[in-house]
Amino acid sequence: MIRKITALFSGLSVALILGTGATQAEPAERIVSAGGSITEIIYALGQEHRLVARDSTSNYPAEVSELPNIGYVRRLSAEGLLSVNPDLILAEEGAGPPETLAVLEETQIPIVSVPMGHNRAAVMDKIRTVAKALDVPEQGEQLADSVGAAIDSATSQEGLENKRVLFVLSMQSGRILAAGTNTAAQGIIEMVGATNVVQGFEGYKPLGDEAIITAAPDVILMMEAGGFLSVPDADVLAHPAIAVTPAGQNGDVLRMDGMLLLGFSVRTGQAITDLAAGLRDANG
Amino acid sequence: MLNVRNLTVNLGRQTILENLTLTAQVGQITAVVGPSGAGKSTLLAALTGDLSFDGSVTLNGHDIARTSTTRLAEIRAVLPQATPMSFPFTVLEVVRMGRIHKTMNNRMASEALTRVGLHGFEGRFYQELSGGEQQRVQLARVLVQVWEPVAQGSSRWLFLDEPVSSLDIGHQLQVMRIIQDFAVRGGGVVMVMHDLNLTAMCADSVILLSNKMVMHQGSPRDTFRDDLLSSAYGCKIAVNRAPEDGMFLLPQVACAAS
Amino acid sequence: MPTAEQISPATVCDGDRSATTRRIVWLLGALLAASMIVALATGSAGTSLWQALSDVLQGRELSLRDRVVLLDIRAPRVLMGCLVGAALAVSGAVLQGLFRNPLADPGIVGVSAGASLGAVGAIVLGGALVVWTVPVSAFLGAWITTILLYRVATRRGRTSVATMLLAGIALTAFAMALTGILVYVADDTQLRDFTFWTMGSLAGSTWSKIYVAGPIIAIPLLLTPFLAKGLNGLTLGEAAAGHIGIRVQRLKACAVLIVAAATGAAVAVSGGIGFVGIVVPHLLRLASGPDHRYLLINSALLGAALLVMADLICRVIIAPAELPIGIVTAVIGAPFFLWILLRQRGIVDL
Repeated sequence: MIRKITALFSGLSVALILGTGATQAEPAERIVSAGGSITEIIYALGQEHRLVARDSTSNYPAEVSELPNIGYVRRLSAEGLLSVNPDLILAEEGAGPPETLAVLEETQIPIVSVPMGHNRAAVMDKIRTVAKALDVPEQGEQLADSVGAAIDSATSQEGLENKRVLFVLSMQSGRILAAGTNTAAQGIIEMVGATNVVQGFEGYKPLGDEAIITAAPDVILMMEAGGFLSVPDADVLAHPAIAVTPAGQNGDVLRMDGMLLLGFSVRTGQAITDLAAGLRDANG
Repeated sequence: MLNVRNLTVNLGRQTILENLTLTAQVGQITAVVGPSGAGKSTLLAALTGDLSFDGSVTLNGHDIARTSTTRLAEIRAVLPQATPMSFPFTVLEVVRMGRIHKTMNNRMASEALTRVGLHGFEGRFYQELSGGEQQRVQLARVLVQVWEPVAQGSSRWLFLDEPVSSLDIGHQLQVMRIIQDFAVRGGGVVMVMHDLNLTAMCADSVILLSNKMVMHQGSPRDTFRDDLLSSAYGCKIAVNRAPEDGMFLLPQVACAAS
Repeated sequence: MPTAEQISPATVCDGDRSATTRRIVWLLGALLAASMIVALATGSAGTSLWQALSDVLQGRELSLRDRVVLLDIRAPRVLMGCLVGAALAVSGAVLQGLFRNPLADPGIVGVSAGASLGAVGAIVLGGALVVWTVPVSAFLGAWITTILLYRVATRRGRTSVATMLLAGIALTAFAMALTGILVYVADDTQLRDFTFWTMGSLAGSTWSKIYVAGPIIAIPLLLTPFLAKGLNGLTLGEAAAGHIGIRVQRLKACAVLIVAAATGAAVAVSGGIGFVGIVVPHLLRLASGPDHRYLLINSALLGAALLVMADLICRVIIAPAELPIGIVTAVIGAPFFLWILLRQRGIVDL
């Protein structure tokens, strides 16, 4: 009897060892990406065939929208995730809620948290983390090198030091939501070598009319218009406070794709180049 | 019996009733009359335990200030002037509320409704009835609460605030007969009345309130005197006698002249 | 004149809706059971309840995935749906009885505003990383606001329902102002978290949450039948309720405490879920009358069934993503409620 049990246990442990060995040996083939920047990296690594689902912020490249959408990164549904049978989940730092992550942990599906940040090092870190999780470290290094080179060649361009940029996230009934410090917008503006005019607060907050006038931005930077809530350039320039700033007087509203501009992923080098070109074209 | 001694009621800084002493006997109808603002409804509210007061009020020997709500509900029932209700209860459901803590069956409720002249109204919605019909539904509800006028050797009481004010004359008489029946069978009745003629006809004892005080308590014959009424109501009132010792009252045209 | 004892037990009588209502209790019970089973059997992961049951009966092991889906995801969620739905509907019915107004809902005693303040406080001032901080502070917010309101409205042992209503408006405004301050200092992820919280969700229902919130919701709900007669009597008015032997002050205190505990806990675990507290009691009053002895039980059953079904819709309609449940209850509840009102207009004035 005892021998039987012992045999059973040893059999079990062999199976366990084999089991864990198997998961290590075989890279994940059904991957869920919870974060737009992660999805871009997976595509850039040429690993999109392993992707089975993506979150609501993943919209680049366009074909990603054909994959099932698991919802907002911070509101993931446990059963929804399980329904796509993933064997690996790559999630932006801050993905949640914690209850969902706890349930997923029970199912022993590995979850890799990808660090976020708004500078060159963060982009490199992201690419390497994703490549490692996908078991393609060499391609990761190559991608990191090329993205790093693109960023380096674009960063700190001459002649933009004095460009004062106001990033407007949204403008609803005349109320301007602007990017302060510690935002992706601030990060990209600094990388291009220009100045974010809002230094008084962290995050995206409403900016008062007089503060806008005092800030005197040369360029208003916004995300590309799209959807029924977007505000046309003419309305932005007609805003009474913006109208008296250099940007308003010269009609300098610069629009860029949100994911490209703020994603801090493989396209960041291009984002810096585009932003620099846009700023240079501005009259002020 | 109901015994009230030195009853004083203050609301805020205002004195509404001052030093009232009066009694009401079981087997009788005691009516409270007086001009508007004399404190009739306040008196009734104090007697039913709704208001805090100074002095003492005892009902069947129980100090009502110290008697529990549930115990009081077994001794006496109270009919308010009007009872608007916020949810669509049926008439039957309203009547059954009179015995909310006791066993109750639909037959008793139907019997009570028949007595107030609302036979067949059981399934109607209370909110759809006229004011007079609602008032009679509430009377039926009050009646089932104190179904037997005498229980376990002690009398029960009805406190009624203008029970006939929204009724036509036929139903006024019908309700008065129900109230008289309750008193005849040994119960006690205290009611605030507006209509002096009806009071004269039905009451056994009348309390005339005026200016926060009891001006007089006695039989209708003693209380309804020209001088007392004229002084209480502030206008000239003549008490007349009908044949067969009945009484009727007419308001005098030249009120202000006196 | 027959005495109470002489009157024989009555048969069915016009205007007596208790028989119909008892039938509705069974009906709603069956509806709740059915919706629970359907909710347990349905979900985007495709795990079959029947397959799992037959496997277990035949002594086969369930796969880890199926076990997690059935026991750790769906089962606690369905149970939480029942608890929250019952809590919201019953609290609505109790408060409507207390305020003698069919439009009263837990928002009226500051529960919602207090819970929001607690939740946003936890989200913004840190600690949202820990599973428990948001629900615990939402519960505390709801509870403190309601008790404060009750204390404000109570003088010399008497609670003024009118004062409670007015003070409720003031306290709600104040709590919303504090919420506004916190929202202002919040960063955008915190804002999104808070926005999602206000839309409500049963996602993240775990057994440990049920162990904690379950008793706080269930015990008050089990006490509500004792309030039923009192709430019936209260429709006659406060004075008349006292005259028929109801201890009105005790009733008010119990009702407020029960609502604060049950709704506070429900809102804490599920966020803002509107309409259940108003629509469910209203429908039941139309179907079977306002007698609270049945209204409260039926509200619990229907509220639970509705929320379980609404949550099912949330889980599957845009799978693998999920819709916040507050959106579903409002999108279905509001037009349905309007339709009922239009259809019933003029028949019974509530």
